[in-house]
Amino acid sequence: MREKISKLWKKRLNTEPEFNEQSNTEVIELKKQDISTSYDQNLATFKTLFTVPDNIDVKVREFTITSLKRKGVIIFLSTMADIQAIMDSIVEPLIDNEHPSKKIPDIVSYPIASTASNIGEITEYITAGITALFVEGDDQCYLFETTKISGRSIEKSDNEVIVKGAKEAFNERVIDNISLIRKKIKNENLLVETKPISKRSRNNVFIVYQKDLVNEELLQTIKDKLESFEIDSILDLSILEQILEERPRSIFPTLLYTERPDRAAAFIEEGHIILLMENSPGCLILPATFWALFHSPEDHYLRTPYGNFIRILRILALFVAVFTSPIYIAITNFHVGMIPPDLLMAIAGTRERVPFPSIVEVLMMEIAFELIREAGLRVPSPIGPTIGIVGALILGQAAVQANIISPIVIIVIALSGLSSFIISDLSMNFAIRITRFLFIFSAGFMGIYGVTALLIAGLYYLVSLKSFGTPYFAPMTPHSFSSKDLLIRHVPMKEKFRPGYLKPKDMVKQRKG
Amino acid sequence: MNQQPGKLGIREFVSIAILMVGAKATEDTPAVLFRQVQNAAWMIPLLSAGIFFIPLFLLIKTMSLYQDKDLFSVIKKLFGKYLGFIVCLFIFIISSFAVSYDTRTYTNIIRSFYFTTTPNLIIYVILMVICAYGAKKGLQHVGSVSYLIIFYALLSLYIALGISTQQSNIQSMFPIWGPGQLEIIKLSSQNITIFADFFILTMVIPYVTSNKVFKKGTWIAFVYVSIQISVATLIFICMFDASLAGYAYPFHIAIRFISLGDYIPNVEIIFFIIWIMTAFIRFTAFLYINALMFGQLFKIKDFEYLIPSLTTIYLLIGIIPESPIDITLVLKPLIQNLAGPMFAVISITLWLVAQLKGEFKHAKNKNSM
Repeated sequence: MREKISKLWKKRLNTEPEFNEQSNTEVIELKKQDISTSYDQNLATFKTLFTVPDNIDVKVREFTITSLKRKGVIIFLSTMADIQAIMDSIVEPLIDNEHPSKKIPDIVSYPIASTASNIGEITEYITAGITALFVEGDDQCYLFETTKISGRSIEKSDNEVIVKGAKEAFNERVIDNISLIRKKIKNENLLVETKPISKRSRNNVFIVYQKDLVNEELLQTIKDKLESFEIDSILDLSILEQILEERPRSIFPTLLYTERPDRAAAFIEEGHIILLMENSPGCLILPATFWALFHSPEDHYLRTPYGNFIRILRILALFVAVFTSPIYIAITNFHVGMIPPDLLMAIAGTRERVPFPSIVEVLMMEIAFELIREAGLRVPSPIGPTIGIVGALILGQAAVQANIISPIVIIVIALSGLSSFIISDLSMNFAIRITRFLFIFSAGFMGIYGVTALLIAGLYYLVSLKSFGTPYFAPMTPHSFSSKDLLIRHVPMKEKFRPGYLKPKDMVKQRKG
Repeated sequence: MNQQPGKLGIREFVSIAILMVGAKATEDTPAVLFRQVQNAAWMIPLLSAGIFFIPLFLLIKTMSLYQDKDLFSVIKKLFGKYLGFIVCLFIFIISSFAVSYDTRTYTNIIRSFYFTTTPNLIIYVILMVICAYGAKKGLQHVGSVSYLIIFYALLSLYIALGISTQQSNIQSMFPIWGPGQLEIIKLSSQNITIFADFFILTMVIPYVTSNKVFKKGTWIAFVYVSIQISVATLIFICMFDASLAGYAYPFHIAIRFISLGDYIPNVEIIFFIIWIMTAFIRFTAFLYINALMFGQLFKIKDFEYLIPSLTTIYLLIGIIPESPIDITLVLKPLIQNLAGPMFAVISITLWLVAQLKGEFKHAKNKNSM
């Protein structure tokens, strides 16, 4: 009964607006058909589909195939295809060749070729930069993969900077990205599957995994999820990330986005699944746990004690980033007795002339810090450093002198702001910064009790998060078999197992030898 | 994707059990014990554990006959539909009142030691809302959180107790027998309520990975907790001596007493953070178990939806008593004197009934076949 009512309500509230749309059934019907044997009809069909000659980069080149004595036409997008290759290995052999063979594949020397007959299919291929060859009297269309898209070359990773280890990063060309992974994992079991996910822009997603490691159930879940939505266009992986996430409104991320191929390769070797997309300089790693988001690849490249040292630093930074400001508020407002008398006098002395309550002070400064940070990110790089100086000078020095902020608050904010940079994952970083504000409010409301209450509620929330069925804190709790790479990592020789929560086909990655 | 609740592993189960029962060392239990047997109070937890061992052992033995059945289904099966229902209802009511008064006790502690100017109700409401939220998330998640914090909880308790020993005098333990051996034994049997929570914990058997894990986990937690309460009581005795009788919550007095060197004189807030975290976990687990009981009693499958309303009821019961004194001196002793012995009797009766009905023989035959 209740469900019925709520359904009715939802229906009432979420009526889909109706638009007076133009129907394109004609085109859709046309795309379902096969091409005909009539050369002229095919030519006309594709000319209308691609709006030639209005569409300037669609090139239609007609010629006579000498050896066959038949007419032929190639259609391609000049902006997406390699014109030199088309000229050298497709058009030239067709026109010049006196070859006795009657078969097109024997004449054309281009290495990658296939055939298709469905109009819609051929259209899709052409839009992807493939050259289509129609021959008079043939009911097949010959397709040559001449795609050549311009883009960035492989560059250094900007956002996940490390000192030791590989520097190269993913770029916008998915072919490059796949080759970056392939060159790290030279194994025939590394599979690259492709799946169209949007109907209109025909964006493809590439699923990369190790066939003999990955858990079939997990793979199926991800594939099902990729098929579960109908969207006209998904231009970037980061939009797909939001669609895939179980809780898109949650503060904490449950998928790992990285631009480092070495990291992606390491996760593939553990039995994770990687998603890549055309035009996205990064990859998605599924499923991701808190630990995956918290770790940095450098932890493993450095020698064990150093790696653990930066891990401990990072966990410390996490706590400092979240808790310094709330604890300052809580202690100065609620638990004054905790501060040693000398320090208390010092704090009280500096706060004497400040007219605001400490929570207002802290909030003002926190917001100012976030503003500087965001501004520093968005300004054109030539004036970037200026912003830093202006921000630091004005907001630090001047605010203290004007008795708006007490100096100790500057220390507190600087410390927590600095620490928040140590969390390298962008999403986790945002999560930490937002939770800090929540903690500040709770500290202002109920002191340490409020902070602890929110912390426990947050922990309850975090442990209930799942990334494709994997609990957020696995394999720590709920416990599963793994090489215990959590807060502290072991020496590489001791990391013998793949994470158990993935249920990989092969658990042991290192045997006693 | 697969959202069905997972099961508690041994780590999570032991963490919950330790946090639930071990917290007794940090509330009024040591003081109550001291009032009864003076400086022999530290023996009571150990002796009570010894006494409660028998019913608990029999109970777990009986429970192991029925794989994946919780306490209430076993009671109903062995005692019959009507008598079973009455017994279950009685257990539910007792543990409900225990939750109400315990949460109120904690609220009193928070108010009287840390937030003296905050209204009781606000503290109480925050406590209950957080616990209800956690309980609604499910037992597995409660287990996970308790596993995440148990290390820090125990560490901070040890540090607090360790620093307390600096201020204490070991001679306060003497005369070692306190009011006399007979008196101690007599009062030990009365105080088995300390461990009554283990009886209630048998409700969660279906949520633990296996019976074996439950058995092992219970014994680990049981032994550990009895030692912890005993040691804590001993340290409080050595620290406060006779004045312990006058303190309501010795742990909180102790952490106010101690300091980290000369420079940081007041460290109670650090311990308070950890203590209140364990309190949240403790009552979350209690709320969940009580909701589970209620669901079992009245055959409500989705009992998790009951948690908010049950919490509200407990909150309302908890705020009825006017002053903290009513709770510590009138209402809690009532529950304390009733719960332990009653649970022990129920456990033993269950075993006897199972024995008379020949359930053990059936199980044996089944196994041998």
